[in-house]
Amino acid sequence: MPDDSTPIPHGLTRRELLKRLGVLAGGSVMAGSLSGCEALWYRQPAIDVDAWHQGVCRFCGTGCGVKIGIQDGLVVDVKGDPDAHNRGRLCIKGILNRDILYVEDRLHHPLIRHNGELQEASWDDAMTLIAERFRESIDDYGADSVAFYGSGQLFTEESYTANKLFKAGIGTNNIDGNPRLCMTSAAAGYISVFGADEPMGCYEDIDHADCFFITGSNTHDCHPIIWERVMDRKRSRPGTQIIVVDPRETPTARRADIHLPLTPGTDVSLYNAMIHEFIENDFIDEEMVEDYLTFRQGDAERTFEDLRAHVSNYRPEDVADRCGLSARRIREAADVFASSGATMSLWTMGLNQQAQGTACNRLVNAMHLLTGHIGRPGATPFSITGQPNAGGGIRDTGSLAHALPAGRVVANPEHRAEMEDHWGVERGTISPERGYHAVELFEAMRTGDVRCCLVMCTNPAHSLPGAERYREGMERGFLVVADSVHPTETSKLADVVLPAAMWTEKGGVFSQSERRYHIVPKITEPPGDARSDLDIIVELADRLGYGDLITAREPEEIWEEWKAIAADSYYNFEGITYERMHEQPGLLWPCPDEDHPGTCRRYVPGEDPMSDRDEGRHDFYARPDRRAVIWLHDQNPPSDPPTDEYPLIMTTGRVLEHWHTATLTGPLAQLEDIDIEFLEIHPQDARRRNINDGDEVLITSRRGEATLHARITDKVPLGTVFAPFHSARRMINRTVNDTVDPFSFEPEFKVSAVDVQRTIA
Amino acid sequence: MTMPDTHLIWRSALYVGIVLLITAWFSQAWAATEAGVTTTELLRNASIAAAILAIIGLVLIEFVFRERLTRSMYHWTLFFGLLALPALAVLGATDTVFEETKTVESCQSCHVMDPFVDDLRDDESATLAARHANKGWIPDTQCYQCHTTYGAHGTIEGKRDGFRHWFHYITGTWPDPIEYVGSYPNVNCTDCHAGTRSFREVPSHQALAVELAADEVSCTSCHGPAHPTPAERPSFEPPGFLSSSSS
Repeated sequence: MPDDSTPIPHGLTRRELLKRLGVLAGGSVMAGSLSGCEALWYRQPAIDVDAWHQGVCRFCGTGCGVKIGIQDGLVVDVKGDPDAHNRGRLCIKGILNRDILYVEDRLHHPLIRHNGELQEASWDDAMTLIAERFRESIDDYGADSVAFYGSGQLFTEESYTANKLFKAGIGTNNIDGNPRLCMTSAAAGYISVFGADEPMGCYEDIDHADCFFITGSNTHDCHPIIWERVMDRKRSRPGTQIIVVDPRETPTARRADIHLPLTPGTDVSLYNAMIHEFIENDFIDEEMVEDYLTFRQGDAERTFEDLRAHVSNYRPEDVADRCGLSARRIREAADVFASSGATMSLWTMGLNQQAQGTACNRLVNAMHLLTGHIGRPGATPFSITGQPNAGGGIRDTGSLAHALPAGRVVANPEHRAEMEDHWGVERGTISPERGYHAVELFEAMRTGDVRCCLVMCTNPAHSLPGAERYREGMERGFLVVADSVHPTETSKLADVVLPAAMWTEKGGVFSQSERRYHIVPKITEPPGDARSDLDIIVELADRLGYGDLITAREPEEIWEEWKAIAADSYYNFEGITYERMHEQPGLLWPCPDEDHPGTCRRYVPGEDPMSDRDEGRHDFYARPDRRAVIWLHDQNPPSDPPTDEYPLIMTTGRVLEHWHTATLTGPLAQLEDIDIEFLEIHPQDARRRNINDGDEVLITSRRGEATLHARITDKVPLGTVFAPFHSARRMINRTVNDTVDPFSFEPEFKVSAVDVQRTIA
Repeated sequence: MTMPDTHLIWRSALYVGIVLLITAWFSQAWAATEAGVTTTELLRNASIAAAILAIIGLVLIEFVFRERLTRSMYHWTLFFGLLALPALAVLGATDTVFEETKTVESCQSCHVMDPFVDDLRDDESATLAARHANKGWIPDTQCYQCHTTYGAHGTIEGKRDGFRHWFHYITGTWPDPIEYVGSYPNVNCTDCHAGTRSFREVPSHQALAVELAADEVSCTSCHGPAHPTPAERPSFEPPGFLSSSSS
């Protein structure tokens, strides 16, 4: 008999029964896993992975969040991070991150040139030689005889430290890099219009735009994941209008509602004509003009009436012939741009890589400011960057010949003094002279004015315009190349080649087009003796005697130092810590404290923490008068005018699958059959030259020559040819225009006068 | 002689019954084709009819007519009542369950699927699922169409997954957010898309042909997301099977 005090056992309730069944199910699943029979219960992954880590794609300025799968210490799988802005999507390059670390031409040991041959050497020998040669040059020929040429692919900590070493240690501003070839026109545009660099909007604006004005960007091929987001908007709201300005009928242009196949180099005329239409059709936002804008032309103050008079010379009829467009189409585009609920412009190299690149950038910004398509969800002028860390690593840290960290410039004595204090060096240490910009730097190497140059993570012998010209100088001077792969066109010319760790082998912070700072974790080991670029910079500092200057030596320490320096500027990202970046796929600065969620739209009171205003539509606080600047610009004549000798205009670009000079994508087996050696030519231009599809053709220009095979297509307009610039074997960059923009010093890659002839077999 | 007469009547009744059943079957099948009724609906109706017939028949035979039947006739009727008609009913029922669980509504009966189905039916959603459903590329049973690989193996795998989901659901043991387990079989996409020119002309597809065939790269890597991402859908925290029953 049970004791009365003993609780009487109840029967199983439904819930308890279910629980027990659950335990049973769980048990059977466990048993399955233990016995190796889980395949009977779950679908299995095609690639086995031990652990997944959050990271960022190694490639373009879209900066997609990735999940990196590791097995036995190797990266075996990479997929899109569903929690990042890319919603789990990646393009083929993002997917192939899984293979780039393990290509055959990874460099494992330092190489030193002996009797013309690059031979394996120890790190000690290599660094001793580098330090000796740099020291000798600095002592004998001055600090400006040495230079650093970096990359928008280095981590922020690396670029920041190199900038500090050269500007505050060695005492030269000869520190520039491939971003000069890429987006300095965008930076010059933003700085001169808004007073500070970097876009005011963010990717989320894409989800709210009713009109996209895409100019000088083949977004579909070059930033595919941004393009997918644009297409998502179009799919959700089919009424969304897409205007594409591009000489070619690119895959982007094919999907446009309005395609303006503009003659290369005539952008200024088109934008002026559109502004003319805005004024004529009362699309001007008078509140903007009244309260938020000023007008300038060169050094002179101007007014809105001056602008009206200025653009009266640019009626659509006036520019139609020059631009190769019909006046009606220009009017239509202007009308759609201005009358939409929210217009977002997207642009990249097509705009930046022109002799009037800065003017183009200013005018596109002006189109938004004048029509009020700015600072609202979906309304923003948004420049896309080409590299994974050109914005945060180079533009924000000021790792360019004219710049200093957080928006400062070397020409400004106050800025120099501030940085000298921040870096703990004597006043007067930082040179007031602008250093050599990219093209000048290699020209100076050619003339012997720069005797030693450290090139990191980039390939100028391939990527410079009129590239052939600079090879001799690189060969003659003392050239050190640190890169993860060898040979590249540049490392072939080097005196010392240093094997660099890359991506997950070193770890650090990247940024992308929308001011997002996000982190790549160090989760794998570099091959052979390879070391991080940061280690190389720090050791060079030690060996040159600037070790005391480089107080922060580990990535996170350097991040903290740089964060503290930026904290009193408009670039404040005090709240973006390593810890937060490890927890989430990055944050958008400004972000002044650790509770701040990051800022999508800058210069908007209430949204931008840097603004101390409570009301008003905008606060362009980085400008002294808090007003953005509308710049008046005239169309210049072509810098490389077509003549009878060079009657065609060549423009260059990319294909979706490859990237830049193909040092990363070239060795990938999957991409072997992707054609990067073609020249697109219009059927009539081909017929006149007796060129058949597939023929080898010789491209000649005032700079040099290259051969490609002809791809006859009416996707390029009559008189224009196009080639991708990836192929090292073909090196089309030998022929491209090396004229630079007067403000940004970015070369005009996109408009070169050339001739094309069939090669004689 | 009354016995042969009765026998004859019963035998005739049986034959007439069978003929009627067959006629009804064919006529309904014909009507079904005309009216767009599916085999499943037909089978379901037939199985209901069979079940009712079997029960009524058995009751009548056992309690009313048993004495009047010959032994062989009795066995025949038992055969129909206990085996043939129930077999038809079971066949119909099984088919109904199989077919019914293909429907979107069936998947949505677990509320953890609500965000997915809501998205699927959202005209403005740009997810792969919504586009395939709303543009009519996959007109119905969209969950099943994309989550079950072709062939018998796929069906078994699909039913197993469905069973596992159901089990996790009723036991409150699903992970939140729910995640797709394993690699998505690209054949579900390529079966329709791979033959098209627009698919074949994409250089990235050619470059990744091996990886795509081996499911080492998912189509959704570039073309996704198929559904709202975890951040875009509400959390459905499971109660957990070891949690306090007071919850």
